[in-house]
Amino acid sequence: MSAKLVLALPSKGRLKEDCANMLAEAGLAITKSGSARGYKGTIAHLPEVEVNFVSSSEIAQFLKNGAAHLGVTGEDLLREAVADCEERLILRAPCRFGYADVVVAVPAWWTDVQRMADLEELAMTFRRRHGRRVRVATKYMNLTQRFFAQHGVSGYRTVESLGATEGAPAAQLAELVVDITTTGATLRANDLRVLNDGVILRSQAHIVSSNAARWSNHLRAIERELLDALARAKHPTPKSQPRPGLTRH
Amino acid sequence: MPTEAAPKEPALAAQTERIMGTFSRGGYEQIATPVIQPAGPFLDSVGEALRARTHVFVDRDGQELCLRPDLTIPTCRLHLARHPGGNRLAHYCYHGLAFRYQAGAAMPTHPTESHQAGIESFAVSDREKEDAAILALTLAALHATGLKQIQLTIGDLGLFAALLHAIPMPVRWRRRLWHHFWRRDSFRRVLMRLTSSEALKAHELPRDLVGRLDPANPKAAEAIVIEYLERSGLGIYGTRTIPEMTERLLAAAADAREAPLDLAAAALIDSLTLVRTPAPQAVRRVCDLLRPHKINIEPALVSFRRRLDLLDRLGVDTGEAEFSAVFGRSLEYYTGFVFQAVSPKLGTTNPIASGGRYDGLLTDLGAPHPVPAIGSCIHTERLHAALHGDGP
Repeated sequence: MSAKLVLALPSKGRLKEDCANMLAEAGLAITKSGSARGYKGTIAHLPEVEVNFVSSSEIAQFLKNGAAHLGVTGEDLLREAVADCEERLILRAPCRFGYADVVVAVPAWWTDVQRMADLEELAMTFRRRHGRRVRVATKYMNLTQRFFAQHGVSGYRTVESLGATEGAPAAQLAELVVDITTTGATLRANDLRVLNDGVILRSQAHIVSSNAARWSNHLRAIERELLDALARAKHPTPKSQPRPGLTRH
Repeated sequence: MPTEAAPKEPALAAQTERIMGTFSRGGYEQIATPVIQPAGPFLDSVGEALRARTHVFVDRDGQELCLRPDLTIPTCRLHLARHPGGNRLAHYCYHGLAFRYQAGAAMPTHPTESHQAGIESFAVSDREKEDAAILALTLAALHATGLKQIQLTIGDLGLFAALLHAIPMPVRWRRRLWHHFWRRDSFRRVLMRLTSSEALKAHELPRDLVGRLDPANPKAAEAIVIEYLERSGLGIYGTRTIPEMTERLLAAAADAREAPLDLAAAALIDSLTLVRTPAPQAVRRVCDLLRPHKINIEPALVSFRRRLDLLDRLGVDTGEAEFSAVFGRSLEYYTGFVFQAVSPKLGTTNPIASGGRYDGLLTDLGAPHPVPAIGSCIHTERLHAALHGDGP
């Protein structure tokens, strides 16, 4: 089998459409191929590229172990799944879609907690009063641990939450959350407030190159071609919507 | 790894037999604990940082479990299962595997699994005497295997606790400093904050609330907090309560009015964390530091001296030991005497044995009252490497 450049793209949802549009605008429209279920695709202008559609959380794994040469997925998922991100992956370019901020949010009525440092103070009194550590619900266990350690916050426990994280404090499954937000609306609707220094990561989708994949000079040249086409298509300023920022109250 | 380890095993077994023989003759009951442990007790006492170096996994019932990263907590759990009060006198010894997750590949110096031979002592009320006995027995076990060159480091977190208590400051500041003690950088940060009247004012908290709270009148404070929350229309929900939040807001209000911590006192605290000296000079060095400040921590120094005397009487040469005031800072559950034995061959990054007092751990694990507890463990593969010189 002649070596092809494997490009892993999200298999469904908004991210899938955004990826298809980004490639189409660069003159690299994807044609579905293979079985009717369409988990494979080709690009007419780059016949040596094989497109694999996989779920966006799996793309990080594909890139980590080298099953794909290139992929498009959120920086949040990459940094969560790949601890030594800088060594294993190269973030080639941001895509200007798939925006999501990973943030630390607490019940809005916690007037005494405005910054990360307050959280450690709270952890101390909480443990004394409740006989256990304060709990953080999140699907970002690794990002949470690293960010909290950077801020000297240690007196907590994480509770893994794979959906509807924002509801965990009200359901008394946790006291606070580390969650993603784009406009902050979901957090506000759940009476949650982002801490002043609680933005862990301003994430967006990235085109990522795997260091673990088998690269040849030839494949590198194809990668270059693909990245150049995308860069040419991308104008210096985004023409669609501007970067949505977090609004805070 | 098994193929490489195989030729060593007879020698390792003989070495283990000598260690465990020494422990048994010392009156320690040999026990075995499950390799797979609930992760909760480890995460609660050590913190989330544990996940980065431990094999934590979820079983089919959704229970978080781990491969035991050490044998101290499993031994505590066994003791509490036998004696829920925890306060029954007990001496246990064990030899078993401990597991470490190594990011990337495991190396000979950083194996994913290795043996620990250890002892744990519960509910002995004469602390210094038991501290000395545990260290002496650990060294006796090392000597029994033929290890001659041992560099000993000792520390005493009790000295530090005593210093915090002797310096005039609000109780909550002591709690705060002790809470951060285990992380050098945040400890320094908190210490500096306490010396700054600006930092103590906590400008990010709402002035119109904190400014109205009177630390001398906590009852009235709660009403003010409730009224503030009602006015701002914020829904109150979750496990945290208004009295809890009021306590913290009152602390902030009190901090804003408090005279900041004396710079000289902060410098003294900081300088104590830096003391490293041969053990026999430790008391004099600490006294030299305290004298200009007219601060007295005599009871803690008496305990320290008494422990050294007891060690000498048990034949432990403390003249060669190094004292480090903040040694033991690496593990959040230590509360008093701590020690570490290093072989010059392997260096300080691979201690052969280490141990310490952890009087608060049993309550964390469910005992109704604090139980005096101390233990130590020998890393048997490292000891073998130190004895037979084939690298760690």
